[in-house]
Amino acid sequence: MNFANLSFDFGVGITLHTYLVLSAALFCIGLVAVLARRNAILVLVGIELMLSAANINFIAFWRFGAHPEEMVGVLFALFSIAVAAGEAAVGLALIILVYRHYKTINPSQFRSLNG
Amino acid sequence: MNYFDFVKILSPEIVLLLVAMGIIGMGCRGGKFAEAGACAFLSFVGVLLAVGALIFCAPDGQMAGGMIVLDPLVRLVKFAILAMVAVAVVLLQADRPSYHVAENFAMLLFAAIGLLLIVGTEEMLVIFVGLELAGLALYALAGFARSDLGAAEAALKYFLFGSVAAAFLLYGMSLIFGVCGTTELQAMSAALRKNAQEPILTAGLAMALVGFGFKVAAVPFHLWAPDVYQGAPTPAAAFVASGSKVAGFFILAKFLFIGFGGLEGSAGWGSFAPGWVPMLGVMAALSMVVGNLMALVQKSVRRMLAYSGIGHAGFLLLALMAASAESLEAVVFYTVIYGVATLGAFGVVGVVVRERGGDSFSRFAGLVKREPVLSFSMLVFLCSLAGLPPLAGFFGKFFLFTAAMGAGGILGAAPGLLWLVALALFFSAVSLYYYLLVLKQIFFISEDGVAGCSGEGLGVVPRAVIFLLAVVTVGLGCFPDLLLGPIHRAVEVLLGN
Repeated sequence: MNFANLSFDFGVGITLHTYLVLSAALFCIGLVAVLARRNAILVLVGIELMLSAANINFIAFWRFGAHPEEMVGVLFALFSIAVAAGEAAVGLALIILVYRHYKTINPSQFRSLNG
Repeated sequence: MNYFDFVKILSPEIVLLLVAMGIIGMGCRGGKFAEAGACAFLSFVGVLLAVGALIFCAPDGQMAGGMIVLDPLVRLVKFAILAMVAVAVVLLQADRPSYHVAENFAMLLFAAIGLLLIVGTEEMLVIFVGLELAGLALYALAGFARSDLGAAEAALKYFLFGSVAAAFLLYGMSLIFGVCGTTELQAMSAALRKNAQEPILTAGLAMALVGFGFKVAAVPFHLWAPDVYQGAPTPAAAFVASGSKVAGFFILAKFLFIGFGGLEGSAGWGSFAPGWVPMLGVMAALSMVVGNLMALVQKSVRRMLAYSGIGHAGFLLLALMAASAESLEAVVFYTVIYGVATLGAFGVVGVVVRERGGDSFSRFAGLVKREPVLSFSMLVFLCSLAGLPPLAGFFGKFFLFTAAMGAGGILGAAPGLLWLVALALFFSAVSLYYYLLVLKQIFFISEDGVAGCSGEGLGVVPRAVIFLLAVVTVGLGCFPDLLLGPIHRAVEVLLGN
């Protein structure tokens, strides 16, 4: 089956722009979660959203691009999903480490290093 | 394309990977296998084997459309990174890590693999994966001192900033991919000549620069650096400040020069044009100002080194703005010189932290009586960082600034980057002040009243390594051609192709 010629019609015109708007919105939501800095886990969730937004971009650009038969976009998305998983693992480990010392995971309360 | 060729060209990375796996295995067995000495020895052997593989096994060439590239310049930078890993291994062993000893060394080697990968590629996917491999290993390395509150906090901050920067980088890369339809830098620049006007491309480039700006600790993406340098174990901080910076600047130069060649724009006085040079210009100017001014008011030497490192990043970005072969040579030379001096300085700071329980300026008082060799080494490192002749840092800065002056025509014809070079020269003089503050404590203040001195002292090997770094700094200052010659020839080969 040739994936490149598969077209989905949901009744509304779903074009490249739809996906780009979606991914930009997702990226901004993630960034807001990061900048709020209420809770280190939520910051981590925000980062994952930002990475997912980039993945949507890669898939959309690949699907609507000039050379969908080259799997570059998909490959990039696959790799970044794996990297995001590794990032979550390291991040959670570090959050637990910090929690043992501070008994809180609110990043704005980490103040042993200043200057 | 043959699978065996892949193994050959990647042999240094593969050797390091196998050794790192072996070290983790030793950690699992525990007992005397997991002692720092054994792990350090194995890591050191691994680095030597990787250097051997780089010399004898790996041929020059390109694989998989630029995913893996090896040319004389890449080879030189890989040698520099491997040498810095070896020094970091020695410093790590001297630091006597108490928890997860084997994993400490393994993480250092994993970070080294990531750095070697990003140095030897001209493709965005490998850049991203390599940056993340190095990043994740370094976050863990920074947090390994489990009992230490500062280390945990530093590691988490490093991780959070790093991951956000990585997300920006990935999003930027996706936009660039969307415009160019390719992830190879060479093909990218060809595609860009057709659609240089896409606004989405500017957005992508700016977001990618956020990611790289984090890696090289340039303002305004520098906030992690002071905390990590101060809080993380000194060997980890030393490697973040040296090896990671060398690789970061090299790949940033490649990304911009190869991928975005032709989109430079201009930041010359009165002749601004949009492109990546003005973006770098803003980062360079901010880094020089913020880094050097903040360094003036620090009480912790490691924090001071972090802010001064941010200032040095500003100098390096300034040279990148010239976008010429000379600027590439100057940047490679300076990052190596800077890395050597920083590794040495962190080695000395590590001794003071261990023996005197802190790294505030006053803890360095009277160090010269107790540790004359280390004190004079520190003198060499700090004077080189400040750019005093005849040390290597002087020539490094000289080449950086002449490369930047070369941009935008001959002096007098067009002012070019003169305004930024003047700023850099001014702050270079400012930086002398805070380096001298440390040296004043070491050489002229008596050590009465300094607590501690409980030290078991530093072993012979780390002592010799720190001295060797000082000798290298003096040697490259007297004979800069020893390093500059090979770099120049390597760049010539690149341009010849």
